[in-house]
Amino acid sequence: MRLEAEVAGRRVRVEVRRRGEGPYDVTIGDRQIQLEARAAGPMGLSLLVGNRSHDVAVERTPTGFRVHLAGEVVEVGLSEAVSAAMGAAVARGPARITAPMPGKIVRVLVGPGTEVEAGDGVVVVEAMKMENELKAARAGRVRAVHVREGQAVDGGALLVELE
Amino acid sequence: MKPIRKVLVANRGEIAVRVLRACREMGLQTVAVYSDADRTARHVRQADEAHRLGPGPASESYLRIDGVVEAATRSGADAVHPGYGFLAENADFARACAAAGIVFIGPRPETIELMGEKTSARRAAIEAGVPVVPGTVEPIEDHAVLAREAERVGYPVLLKAAGGGGGKGIRRVASPKDLASAVARARSEAESAFGDGRVYLEKALTGARHIEIQVLADGHGQVVHLFERECSIQRRHQKIIEESPSVAVSPALRERMGALSVALARRVGYVNAGTLEFLVDASGEPYFLEMNTRLQVEHPVTEWVTGLDLVKLQIRIAAGEALPFTQAEVHQRGHAIECRIYAEDPDLGFLPSPGRITVLRAPAGPGIRDDSGVDAGDEVPIHYDPLLSKLTAYGADRAEAAARMSRALAEYRVLGLATNVAFLARILAHPAFASGAFDIGWVEGPLAREEPRTQPPWEIVIAAAAIAAFEERRAASRTTVRHEVPVWRRAGWDDQQRGRL
Repeated sequence: MRLEAEVAGRRVRVEVRRRGEGPYDVTIGDRQIQLEARAAGPMGLSLLVGNRSHDVAVERTPTGFRVHLAGEVVEVGLSEAVSAAMGAAVARGPARITAPMPGKIVRVLVGPGTEVEAGDGVVVVEAMKMENELKAARAGRVRAVHVREGQAVDGGALLVELE
Repeated sequence: MKPIRKVLVANRGEIAVRVLRACREMGLQTVAVYSDADRTARHVRQADEAHRLGPGPASESYLRIDGVVEAATRSGADAVHPGYGFLAENADFARACAAAGIVFIGPRPETIELMGEKTSARRAAIEAGVPVVPGTVEPIEDHAVLAREAERVGYPVLLKAAGGGGGKGIRRVASPKDLASAVARARSEAESAFGDGRVYLEKALTGARHIEIQVLADGHGQVVHLFERECSIQRRHQKIIEESPSVAVSPALRERMGALSVALARRVGYVNAGTLEFLVDASGEPYFLEMNTRLQVEHPVTEWVTGLDLVKLQIRIAAGEALPFTQAEVHQRGHAIECRIYAEDPDLGFLPSPGRITVLRAPAGPGIRDDSGVDAGDEVPIHYDPLLSKLTAYGADRAEAAARMSRALAEYRVLGLATNVAFLARILAHPAFASGAFDIGWVEGPLAREEPRTQPPWEIVIAAAAIAAFEERRAASRTTVRHEVPVWRRAGWDDQQRGRL
């Protein structure tokens, strides 16, 4: 799972991988750490990094998680990163913008005929209580919008087509 | 005097719970009162009886003298403990209790009135030989007189409301050209807060510490002091950390301030527990500020170092008993520190942060006491002071007490709303706190201008959030598989989501 995290005004790419029920491999920027994590009490999480123990609690926020650790409280904003592969596919392909995961359409930012630049927001999808703005991978004119606000969509659903 | 068998606690939150505990330990029956916002609050659940006062706003519930007295009469309570705040320093309430044949656990109404009016309290202090901050004894209407007095005591000066406290109506004036507009603002603020626009003037002491003396007086003429509390760690004129003893008080100063306090309490015929607040300037000279004619929020630090239970003593004094000890028999042993745990956001100018507490893990262990008014699942209402709990730590000396407090703050976990726990921990870890080199301006001055010295371990924080997101998605994709309960569900994730509804 690829994410973009925002902490104390800084953004960093994060990737989480887990094989079966084993430890988690978390890559933060270019640093990789392996953590063993177990649920411990209400919203508690006992982390072991090697043998170093961290007693953490995580609380959902509209934009990510609030992490409690040894009396400190830190807001972590998280958004699902559109993978490089998917981004490239969008750029090369027939300019189809699809939903990266199941979710709900919160806002449609374009209509048929709208001229968009690469990087312009097209649709905002809410998934996992996080809002993700899907962006046009290249410039073009919107040919069709296949969803409306409030609609639930499956992962991979076609949302917007560019000419 | 009839014995006290049943006590109504005319308060809410942590102080109501504190008083109820003392009553329970003394074998007394307990009566709580509550507003609609507090129907399921801890003080209601912890009392033998609970009587509704009215809607959430304090003016329609906890501040209603008729409602509280009626509840006391209806429940057959022998006495009322007012806690602090609300009606605790309201002479009319004390009179209404007496008129209904109910013992008010506190001083006589005349004393509340005398010490509640700031200028008459200053006059009483002067008559008792207690030094007061240089300034005017009477409220002053005439602007020319105010200007002349300001010149006499020297700028900067403070304008204060004669009719009340709590930081309202206070204006600091640095130079003569600002005096006129500051007077106008102080008058209108005092008028709207207390219905009394009269102001008086004091010299603004710089580099001063706020140090107070606890006194206890019985109805038989015996008055003792229970040493000092250091309360200089403040924000917005409100204390957040208190301790006893104070690093700034020498044995000689302690004895002097204690003797002055006992003299003033005697002079005004004080009965029950009270606190005399002083400013102590950089040279170690104490100046009387005001007297709080009630139990103080920070009374647990005095309880730690003296081994006494102030609430029980208050009840016994109100029942007509004599103090069971003399001044020579009271000792100050070890060191105690209190941190006030507020539902507030230090990053948003200490703005209150009401809401529902989803997870609450209070610290415990050696030398730790947590006087809390809330449980997990409780709603912190918008109507009242957002104090959740008072955490106190005791140690053989200041270093041990501070280490225990730091340890306990790291254990404290409150989810669901913002608290000042991390902010308090930052102060405890600060070299200026460790050395005792702070005054009443330190938190909002030097500390506010500093970057936090400690940084959370960012990688662990980010990894924890990322793992939570990963598990949340896995749980969502598995919800249809009934035999396989995701680990996150077991961890109480559902409970949190319910709490958000």
